[in-house]
Amino acid sequence: MPTALNEQALARYRNDFLREVEERVDEGGWVKMCMQCGVCAGSCPFGPHWEHSPQKIFMMIRAGKREEVLASDSMWMCTSCYNCVVRCPRKLPITTIMHGLATYAHRLGLAPKRQPTRDFSVIFWENFTRNGRANEIRLMLRLWFRDGFGAGIRKALAMKEVGLGMLRAKRMSPFEIFGGHGVKDVKGFQAMIRKAQEIEDRKRGFSK
Amino acid sequence: MATAVATNQTILVVGGGVSGMTAALEAAECGKEVVLVESSATLGGRTASLYRYFPKLCHPVCGLEINLRRLRGNRSVRVLTLAEVTAVSGTRGDFTVTVKRSPRYVNRNCTACGACAQAVSAEIPNPWNYGLDRLKAAYLPHAMAYPQRYVLDPSIIGTPDAEKARAACKYDAIDLGMQAETLELKVGAIVWATGWRPYDAAKIQPYGYGRFPNVITSVEFERLADPHGPSGGKILRPSDGKLAKNVAFVQCAGSRDENHLRHCSRICCMASLKQTQYVREAFGEGAQSTVYYIDIRAIDRFEDFYARVQRDPTVKFVKSKVARIAEDQATRDPILHGVDTEGYRRYASRHDLVVLAIGMEPSVRGADIPAEVVADSSGFIDAAADGAAVFGAGCATNALDVNRSVQNATAAALRAIQVVNRAARAES
Amino acid sequence: MAEMKTAAYVCQGCGLGERLSTQQLAQVAQKEGKMALVREHPFLCSAAGVQAIRDDIEKDGVTHIAIAACSRRAKTEAFHFPAVAMSRANLREGVIWSQPDTEAARETTQEMADDYVRMACAEVKKMKAPAGNPEAARNTRLLVVGGGISGMTAALEASKAGYPVTLVEKTAALGGWAAKLWKRTPAREPFQAPAETGVAAMIEAVRADPNIEVRLSSTIARTSGAPGRFSVAIATESGGAATEDFGAIVQASGFSLYDASKLPELGFGKSPNVVDQAGLERLAREAAAGNAPIRRPSDDGEVKTVVFVQCAGQRDATGEHLPYCSGHCCATSIKQAMYFKDANPAVDTVVLYTDLRVPGNGEDFYRSGQSKGVVFTKGAVSAVEPAGNACSVRFRDLILDEDATIENADLVVLATGQVPNSGVDIEKVAQNEPGEWQPDANSVLNLVYRQGKDLPLLRHGFSDSHFICFPYETRRTGIYAAGPVRRPMDIAQAVEDATGAALKAIQAAENAALGRAAHPRSGDLSFPIVRLDGCTQCKRCTVECPFGAIDEDEKRYPVFNESRCRRCGTCMGACPVRVISFENYSVDTVGAQLKAVDVPDEFSEKPRILVLACENDAYPALDMAGMARRTYSAFVRIIPVRCLGSVNTIWVSDALNSGYDGVMLMGCKHGDDYQCHFVKGSELANYRMSKIDDTLKQMALETERVATYEVAITDIERAPRLIDEYAAKIAEIGMSPLKGFA
Repeated sequence: MPTALNEQALARYRNDFLREVEERVDEGGWVKMCMQCGVCAGSCPFGPHWEHSPQKIFMMIRAGKREEVLASDSMWMCTSCYNCVVRCPRKLPITTIMHGLATYAHRLGLAPKRQPTRDFSVIFWENFTRNGRANEIRLMLRLWFRDGFGAGIRKALAMKEVGLGMLRAKRMSPFEIFGGHGVKDVKGFQAMIRKAQEIEDRKRGFSK
Repeated sequence: MATAVATNQTILVVGGGVSGMTAALEAAECGKEVVLVESSATLGGRTASLYRYFPKLCHPVCGLEINLRRLRGNRSVRVLTLAEVTAVSGTRGDFTVTVKRSPRYVNRNCTACGACAQAVSAEIPNPWNYGLDRLKAAYLPHAMAYPQRYVLDPSIIGTPDAEKARAACKYDAIDLGMQAETLELKVGAIVWATGWRPYDAAKIQPYGYGRFPNVITSVEFERLADPHGPSGGKILRPSDGKLAKNVAFVQCAGSRDENHLRHCSRICCMASLKQTQYVREAFGEGAQSTVYYIDIRAIDRFEDFYARVQRDPTVKFVKSKVARIAEDQATRDPILHGVDTEGYRRYASRHDLVVLAIGMEPSVRGADIPAEVVADSSGFIDAAADGAAVFGAGCATNALDVNRSVQNATAAALRAIQVVNRAARAES
Repeated sequence: MAEMKTAAYVCQGCGLGERLSTQQLAQVAQKEGKMALVREHPFLCSAAGVQAIRDDIEKDGVTHIAIAACSRRAKTEAFHFPAVAMSRANLREGVIWSQPDTEAARETTQEMADDYVRMACAEVKKMKAPAGNPEAARNTRLLVVGGGISGMTAALEASKAGYPVTLVEKTAALGGWAAKLWKRTPAREPFQAPAETGVAAMIEAVRADPNIEVRLSSTIARTSGAPGRFSVAIATESGGAATEDFGAIVQASGFSLYDASKLPELGFGKSPNVVDQAGLERLAREAAAGNAPIRRPSDDGEVKTVVFVQCAGQRDATGEHLPYCSGHCCATSIKQAMYFKDANPAVDTVVLYTDLRVPGNGEDFYRSGQSKGVVFTKGAVSAVEPAGNACSVRFRDLILDEDATIENADLVVLATGQVPNSGVDIEKVAQNEPGEWQPDANSVLNLVYRQGKDLPLLRHGFSDSHFICFPYETRRTGIYAAGPVRRPMDIAQAVEDATGAALKAIQAAENAALGRAAHPRSGDLSFPIVRLDGCTQCKRCTVECPFGAIDEDEKRYPVFNESRCRRCGTCMGACPVRVISFENYSVDTVGAQLKAVDVPDEFSEKPRILVLACENDAYPALDMAGMARRTYSAFVRIIPVRCLGSVNTIWVSDALNSGYDGVMLMGCKHGDDYQCHFVKGSELANYRMSKIDDTLKQMALETERVATYEVAITDIERAPRLIDEYAAKIAEIGMSPLKGFA
């Protein structure tokens, strides 16, 4: 009997992971169209900071490196500058694929822990879906204090001037800390989000 | 409207580059009457502006010399330069073709002595050298030009320069009253050989062509290396005239790219491999060439040449499509940014000069041809589509190297002969 | 021939009148050149000037004219008098444009011009206007050898132009390799899916064409003759042979697939699940016939994973396998992967390549393959290891930079290369002696040519042309290789190639009928004339002819086949007894020129250097140097030659005996990448001149007095420099001691 790990090895180059990405990742069907020119890798402003370039991730997907790809933090670094997309000679929607892969990894629980972009996304999503509006104060507090109380205070003090500026300019209300205001029909909004999630889940094969 | 003597036994060849000349000569050497129409002032086309051919590194003008001698010795080919086909009507075996001829302002009396060029002071960008230098507005297009006759640039007509040119000519060869004329030809078959042009490099925005003087195209690099070229064969970079010993070759500049040209232009890999040897020839062991590529397409025995260049210690290969080119503002050195995809290594490489291996597109896209043709998505026409009015030859049909263009033009000559022979049989 | 009446014309235009004393030139032509009629004209190429010449020819019966004006490369339309013998003294590009316009240079410039007039007069008197080949024969039936796509295309296209064809195929059926394919790669928009081969329709068209006669199970037992009069014995399998006559031949003998059993490391022969591309086509056709998917050969199991190994035994640097790339195989593998993907997208197909080579619109086909889910991995395969019904494919993943394995391949397809069916290598297999000739079973054409039975091979066994600008330059006039025997190619290219080859064959037959030369001296009516009574049967001409045009009879005398000849004059250069000549180019036409030069005595400080320059490259380079007003030594006298191969050493020894101080030979590059359009001319000249040292020593002359250079047509700066450097060298070693003895 092969172990689970061996099965994983055998599945390599069976294109199973490629198919999985095609079916379950936003714009994943484009991965096969990459011709490994590397222009995306060279165009990315975050290039020096990540481990795997988009083109390399696409190759790893074709090579069946499921764990490595989904655990990679590279796609979390995408800032949606679209440099790669406008230069890609095959017109791959690379930005969308990167975000799609990140989302997919997150849904599977395989995304790297404590990845700042991921944490921010989670916090933002929870914050925003609660009332249908982003609550800046609560968002910032959660983000700053995610690394502990001391770190939170330090970050808050560092951002003090910006915060006071926003208060003076009435861009932010201190009372929002108590829950803040939402859209008119919060319940309707939340139902809409739920429905959208259901559709998306069904499409990506996550439905129960 | 003037008419020229031609019949439904005549073959019209459109385009006087290597493909058109070949189609015309091959048909004429089978005893056929041919009219060869060329839009510029001289035959020879784009290959005549290449310094060397791959893979032998021999000189294109050597073959041109042979073709011109064939042409001079064959009275069955009539050459119309500065002429363009504007309309085609009729069907195979029975076409009427309208040809518009622009004035040369110089007649057959011209001996190519050059007195007019000495008299004229106005200068124009030299089209032969892709504007890298300037030449007098009364000029012989290049040393191998055929017909070997000067041309006056239309910009000086009506200026004192034109008068000076006319006065300097002892042979009554300058005719300032020459007008554009329209000819109507009756021909049996048409071979369309209008060739290719380099893709507009300025459209590839991240590469900085047009903004950075030391980013040039492969066709311009040919002129730099050529002893007949603007620098007398010295590889000098445009910004400061310094010797360019460290040269980058950027492959797929425009080709294999859905933002630019969808197709692979076929010749550019070999052209760059060849051009690395120009650098080598100029600077010996002090040369440094780097080829940035996706796939090296050195097909059939061109592989020998690739293997030879790979053994050359002055040539490096980086498997990478260059992402962008920046410029060091102090030195004007171009700096290439990208990633070597083999093993993933980032680079920011400084070079003296960057040569963009520019893609080929048809000079006249299929849709712009005034006759019925079948064209592909890149605008290349089918060489012998069922029922199409014209036969394609050379780079009008595909991105081809010279050898295959000539092969293809020879085939086009036979297709044209089939039509006129059928017409002849029908009449006898 | 009517009596010779000579005339010389001296032009005063383009500055000749100002820079030179044309009156003196006219006197030279009259007194020294002994021209019967001499005219000066202010503008000789004008309509009036040309008319004056024409009047002299038509009214006064002038038969030989010397034109002293511009280069022979200029004003060719004006100076076109095909009925008479004509020489040109190059006073413009060759004298006034290449000499400084200074008072100091005036004397030597005039001397140069005087000499060129003397030379032109001397030359034309030794010339005759060529009368044409008396052996010209007209037969326009073509022989096409090989019944694959290339051969059938050549036959059909020639027939469409009205030429009858005999098509000989060694197997029992037409179709060749293409008939063994299930589908072909697409050649037209949208370049997305495998296309029908069209072979059946083509066979049908050949069968239905009354102009095409098909001979199956037949081979060529013997080919003799020349364009316009080839005599070919066609042998049938049953042993019969019939001899027929043809005007020209297309050799479309195709290719064989490289033997994959030479690649045991890639598992071929170890498992039926490892096939070559032809093997996969067979599986695909069998499956299609049964309307079933392709099954695994070892156990008829389901195919889930197919791996394509590109460049199998190709692009090989070790010397063991094919060094070249066969070009079509990347697209072929994409096509074959589509066989699986189109039938069942769930089948995994992986193409392992190092450079994916799909030029032109092949890029669209590549994209189509990707969109159908074919996976492309840049990887170098090291081993294919069959185990049971599966194969492991080991490779280096070049992008991920790691060793990798595909463990579960059901089928592995090796993309092996094309090996040309080019017959025997005539460099290795000596031809039988005349009279003892026997056919060779390995030969395609069985030529009864002195130099061997098949077309000479270029590189890697292909019968290709060496010339980029002249792909149909053949070294056996009237015989044109087409298709993959010429170079590796796909179907689309083979169709173009065969159509072109058919045209060249038609052209060869038509021109042979008119006695005209084939490329590169197309249209030349001159041909070699041999004075057999002086021949010593040394065989140099038969051995050295670059085109194998000269055979030998049983007594070892040369047999010239005019319509096989390309008029380069290599035989003339080779002949030690100088019995070979052309009507308008001979040992005498050049010998008379070099002897006509006025050689000043050794105290004059005016050396004379003879330059023999290839008319296609070195001479135009010097012309263009003149056009660019680059100056060179006034002591050179330049004579254009058809090819350095035509230079007879007698010219060199005559020049030195006449008191010349040096002789420069300027020819094309030779060696592997030779640029000589007559193949071996410059190489032979180089060889012959390397042997001249002994002669020089006998004459008590320094070896530097003869020098050979490779000069390209672009050497407009270098060629004048070489002349000046050589003139300096001569000044250094001093004047020739042989002056005044001639």
